[in-house]
Parts: sequence; structure tokens; C-alpha cells
Amino acid sequence: MIQVDQLVKVYGSFRAVDNVDLHVAPGEIHGFLGPNGAGKTTAIRIIAGLLQPTSGRIVVNGHDMAREPERAKACLGFIPDRPFLYEKLTAGELLRFHAGLYGLEANGLARRIAEILELFELSRWEGELIESFSHGMKQRLVMCAAFLHRPRAVVVDEPMVGLDPRGARLIKDIFRRMSARGVAILMSTHTLEVAQEMCDVISIIQGGRIIARGSVDELRALAGGQHQQLTPVFLKLTGGSALQEIDEAL
Amino acid sequence: MTHAFPFLLLPVVWSVRNRARRRQRGDVARAGLFGGIGLLVALLIFVTVFWLTWQLLGYEELGDYLLRLGLSWLFLTFLSFLAFSAVVTALSTFFLSEDLRLLLAAPVPGRRLFYSRFAKTIGQASWMVLTFLVPVLLAVGLACCAPLPYYAAVVLTLPAFVAIPVACGSAVTLLLVNVFPARRARDILTLMGLLFAMSLVVLLRALRPERLLSVASLPDVTGFFATLQSPVTPLLPSFWAGETLFAALHGRFDALHAGALGTTALAFTLLARIGFDRYYFAGWSKAQEARKARFTRLRPLEAAISRLPLAPEARGLLAKDLKVFLRDTTQWSQLLLLLALVAVYLYNFKVLDLERIPYMSGVIKNAYAFVNLAMTAFVLSAVAVRFVFPAVSAEGPAFWLIRSSPIRMSAFLWSKFWTGLLPILLLAEGLTILSNELLGAAPALKLVGGVAIFVMSFALVGLATGMGAEHPRFAHENITQVAGSYGGIAFMVLAVLFILVEVGLLAWPCSTYLWHEFRHQAIPADRQALMTLCGLAALGLSVATFSLSMARGVRALERLGE
Repeated sequence: MIQVDQLVKVYGSFRAVDNVDLHVAPGEIHGFLGPNGAGKTTAIRIIAGLLQPTSGRIVVNGHDMAREPERAKACLGFIPDRPFLYEKLTAGELLRFHAGLYGLEANGLARRIAEILELFELSRWEGELIESFSHGMKQRLVMCAAFLHRPRAVVVDEPMVGLDPRGARLIKDIFRRMSARGVAILMSTHTLEVAQEMCDVISIIQGGRIIARGSVDELRALAGGQHQQLTPVFLKLTGGSALQEIDEAL
Repeated sequence: MTHAFPFLLLPVVWSVRNRARRRQRGDVARAGLFGGIGLLVALLIFVTVFWLTWQLLGYEELGDYLLRLGLSWLFLTFLSFLAFSAVVTALSTFFLSEDLRLLLAAPVPGRRLFYSRFAKTIGQASWMVLTFLVPVLLAVGLACCAPLPYYAAVVLTLPAFVAIPVACGSAVTLLLVNVFPARRARDILTLMGLLFAMSLVVLLRALRPERLLSVASLPDVTGFFATLQSPVTPLLPSFWAGETLFAALHGRFDALHAGALGTTALAFTLLARIGFDRYYFAGWSKAQEARKARFTRLRPLEAAISRLPLAPEARGLLAKDLKVFLRDTTQWSQLLLLLALVAVYLYNFKVLDLERIPYMSGVIKNAYAFVNLAMTAFVLSAVAVRFVFPAVSAEGPAFWLIRSSPIRMSAFLWSKFWTGLLPILLLAEGLTILSNELLGAAPALKLVGGVAIFVMSFALVGLATGMGAEHPRFAHENITQVAGSYGGIAFMVLAVLFILVEVGLLAWPCSTYLWHEFRHQAIPADRQALMTLCGLAALGLSVATFSLSMARGVRALERLGE
């Protein structure tokens, strides 16, 4: 569903993304992990069609992002890490505008909007200005917009930031349901528990390169196999002895 | 995907509608203030142009010629203004706007995105020009008793005239963003715009328009206007717009110039779109790159501040404010324009030929000294609204750093006050002393002017600092917008009232003193008492303005968390 081949992004002499290959199959939740500055967000933005790659190819649902950007984007739902929302619009107006961008027909739109707001527990806020929303509500509204047009693939950058435990639970449930319906989900996250709990496959990126890929069990094996949790596995794979250094500094 | 490009402008329309529907406290007052000032300015322009056109009509052919030339020059001035305005606006609408991240992630065809952003650029770059042009053209039409097709021509000519420079400006921006990183391009554009404005100010002054008012040089008037003509003028859209409207004014249709204007507007828009089709995504992509910024470390400044006898937190605030100001091109570069305006201001005093009326020159010089005091204070207010009023807002989203630190709000605001006061005081005193010297005002007036502007500087900077704290806009996109906010306009209104009252309070005692001195008479005791009272009232007003504003500002900052 999402196919990334030999993706490269160079800023001056700095290679932010270096020959990244990714394949997210329909119904798969693919975790994209890496330390800060590893190139996750740059790669995610290129896949979402927001940045031009230096080289490489992205195909979404059979459509090449460079040659058929509109068709590729029409199949994709994107949830950015710092989403932009029109603060002076109501939740309903934002979703109607979003529906227009994705060419949804007016017929049945009101029902679809009501349905998606209900799903993300925002129904009673439909007529309220977005500026009055909490961070978590805004995050859920962005997800409403991303799922409104029934995308075949979803690209998410840090989905759990700012969500309370109930909101996080809700998002996890929805992602699982979407995945069960065949939606491919590429999810960049720092919350390793979420990745461990939800992802079928995890790719770890460091210095712009994919350094490890596999299921949680496969990554455990790659890191030596003695750890149950993903955090020590991640730290071992990314060379992170930073915790000890922080401890010493404090 | 079936929606046409105006659909992409719907959030703007809906936002305005929602804002109007859900009024907040003070919104009506704000709208009244802005609307009132706008209407007043439009009315003033209308009346002036109507009177001027009416006068010109009395001069038969010469009047007609001057009207035609005037229209052409009016459009020429706005043509260059629009081109620069479009370059700066296009950078924001096409490359730096936050909502682009939402729109570009959606399957929006490039052409629709171009047309919607182009329409937005036209609106943002030209609203000021159109606000000025509409009353002008309306006044010309009514004064000339123009037929109805003239008004239709105005409606059709203006969009075509505006589209040409905006298309050129957008194309230049596209080129710049593809060559330089966007943030560097913004600095370059800001500097270019300011140098352009500076040259315009100096050029207009160098034309010596005062010659038009001199009776002795009447025969030169046509020569003066003839020098404004040049061989390239007929090739510019401003000339076509002027000719189209001039013909319509007389009930004719100038198909050649109207056609040239319309087809050029269409062609330039299409060419810009083709350019954007080809290079926009690459440019936008480049604009997202956070390149390592080049900046000056300002070590001598740091060393100088560390030697100041101030508390460590005051030194820290001062160093931070100065560094932020000096590293932001959009901030310090405006000082260049200020310098040009100051030079023109002083030059005006130098060329002021009061000796032509010898028996009046003494009186006029002293009257001018007061006009000068008022003018310097107005300049001071304008500088304060641009640089001091936004001082608190300039903290932006980083204000939490101040609020969570153990600095008292009063210490924070006083630091802003002193940082603003010193340069403004220097400017105000320099202007007053130099211009009074060039004018040759009486020594007593020089002294009064110097002391008065000193006290008024404290009051006006205090007013700007205090009101800036009372009406902060931490969520601004660009710090220059803060001066044009409701608080900024309210400050200007209060500052003008303050200056008028101050000058009024000082003018009477000074003129009484000069009158008695001229006649070598002693001033009666009751007069002296009244004069002292006036002086004390002026001082009291300044002290009250200064202290009340600062106190209110501190209170407003302390209440921010409530």
C-alpha cells in the first residue's frame, strides 16, 4: 500500500534521509522509530507529499507521489506532529472544508461527519470554535480529518502526544479497527510501549538510515534477546547509553 | 476535487463570519475605532481630491493636462508600491503560511492552489492601495461629472492594474525562494523594500515640490510636470490605467490602452502560473529547510552591557532584547527608513526661506519652533508605536520564560521602558536641538523645546510601554503587525491628544513671554503666575501620563494569569 524505494533527502552536505526503503502492506501497522534528529519527520513529510525528495520513489496505492500527487494523496490520510488548524473555524466547518479538499460529495457528508465525530468522541463540540479546544481534542480532530475520506493508507507522526490515557486508548482502538479493515498505517513514535503494543513491523532509523527492521520479537533477538521491553532493545540498537550520562550529569 | 479555487479561500470567509458572530468584549469598540479612523481618512482624501480636481477644471486645457498627468503618476507610484508589496506578501502566502502544510497534504491540484494563493496575495498586497484609490477616483469622477461608464471602467481597470505587479512580484519571490533559503529571502526582500522606500522619500524631496507653491516660479510649473514624464512611461501599465480612466472620464472608450492592460494582466497571470507549476514545489520544499542561520555574536555589546551598573536580571533582559533586535533584519532595517525621514525633516528646515517676509520672520520662526516641537513629538510617537509598543508582545510564545522566572513584572516592564527610552530620547533631543538651530528660534524657545521634548519623551515612551503591556499580542506572526493592532491605534490616538494638549499648554506662556520681551516690558505678576501654572500643568500631565501608564501596564502583566 505504501512503498518507499531508495529515499534520499540531502540538505546542503547533510543527508537527513539516506537510502530508506519501506513497505507497508494493507492492514499492517508499521512503527517508525528513531532517536531525535534521526530523520523520521523528514521521511514522513516526504511520504505525505509535503517535501520533495532529493531522490527515490514513493508509491501510495499504486500511484507515484511525484507523477500523480493528487491521486496518491487522495488515498492517504496524514496526521502531522504539529498540525495546523484554522482556529476561528468550528470542528464541523473544518471537516466540511477538509471533505471539499478530498472531493467528497455533499450527499451524505453530514452523516459521515457526525459519524467520525462520534467515533472520536467530539460530537458535542461540532459547533464550537477550534480555538477553545484542548490539545488532546485538537489532536483527535486532526485524526477525524485524516480518517474522514476513508483513506487506504495513513501516515501518522507522533499520534499520542498530548493525549490523556482515555484518548490514547481510544486512538489505539481506532487504529486497530482501521488496520483490521485493511488500512495501512505508518506510525512514527517515541512512545515505545505503544509501538510494542500495536505495531506488526518496526523500522528503526538512525542517522537517516534504517538500522533495524522486524517484528518486536525479531528486534529483541537482534539486540541479544535478554530484554522483554522494547526500551532497552531500542537503546541497545541505537547505541543509547545516554540514560547513564544524564544520571551522572544530574 | 471538483471544487474551483475559491473553495480554498473559504476558511478565510468562515473565520471572518465566525469572528463577527462571536463578538468578544471590546470588539465593537475596536471596529468602531478602526472603522472611524478609516472613514475619516477616506473622507479627507475624497474632499481634498474633489477640491483639487475642481480647481484644476477651472484651468481649461492646462487643468485637463495636469489631471491626465496626475492620474498617470498616481498609478505609477502605486505600481512600484504594489510590486514590492506583492514580493513580500507572496513570500508569506505562497511559502511561509502555516495552512500550506494542510493544503499541500491534500490532493489539491497545483493550479487551484496557485489561483487561490494568487487571489490572497492580490487582496493582501493591494487593499491599502485600493482603499486610497477608490475615494480618489470617486472624487475625480464626481468633480468632473463623469458619466456612469467611468465608474464601470474604474471597477474593471483596478483589478487588471493590480494583477500585473502582483504577478511580477510573485514570480520574483518564486525565483528568490528557489535561489536562497526562504528565511534569507525574507531578509533580502525586507531590505530591498526599505531601500526602495528610502529612495522614494529622498527622490520625492529632491523634486522640491515646494516650487509649486512659489508665485515666482509659476511659469516653471508645466516644466516641472514635464520633467516627470519619461520615454518609458507609455510602456507601463500605470500609463494604460491612467489613459483608460481619463478617456472614460470624458465619455470615451480607449480600446488600445484598456486592451493592453487587460491582456497584459491575463498574460502575466498565466506566465506566473506556468512558473509556479514548474518550480513551486521545489521552492516550497526548500523553504521548509531549517538551514543553519548566520548571525553576529555581538560580543562587544555583551561586554559593554556586563559593565553596566545594573542588577544581573536587568542586564540579562537588556542583552536579550538588544540581541534579538539587532539579529532580526525586519526590525533594525526599519531604522534606515527612519534615518532617511529624519534627514528629509532636517533638510526641510534648512531650505525653509523665512527671510522672504522679513517683518514676519521672527514671529513665524517662533511659531515654527512650536510646530517643530509637535512634529518631533509625532515622530517620536510613530517610532514608539513601532519599536516600544510591541516590546512586551515581542516576547511571543517565549513569555513563559519570564513569567516562570523570579523576576517581578515591574522589573520586566521597567527594563522594556529604559531600553526604549534611551534611543528615543537621543533621537528626540537631536531632532529638536538641530531643527531649532537651523530655524534660528529664540534662545528661550530652544530651551523650552529641549526641556519639553525631554519630559514628553518619558511620557510617550511610558505610555507606549504601558499600553503595550495592557494590549499584548503574543500570538503574532510578525512583530510589525503589533503596531497596527487595536492597542497600537489607541496608543496613537492618545499620543496625539497628549501632544496637542502639551503644546497648547506651553504655547501660551511662551508667546506671552516673547511678546513682552519683544516690547521690553515686564510681565505682570498675575500673568507670571498663570504662565507658571501652565508650565506646571504641562509637567503634571507628562508625569501623570508616564506613571499611570506604567502602573497600569505592570498591573495588566500581573493579572495575565488570572
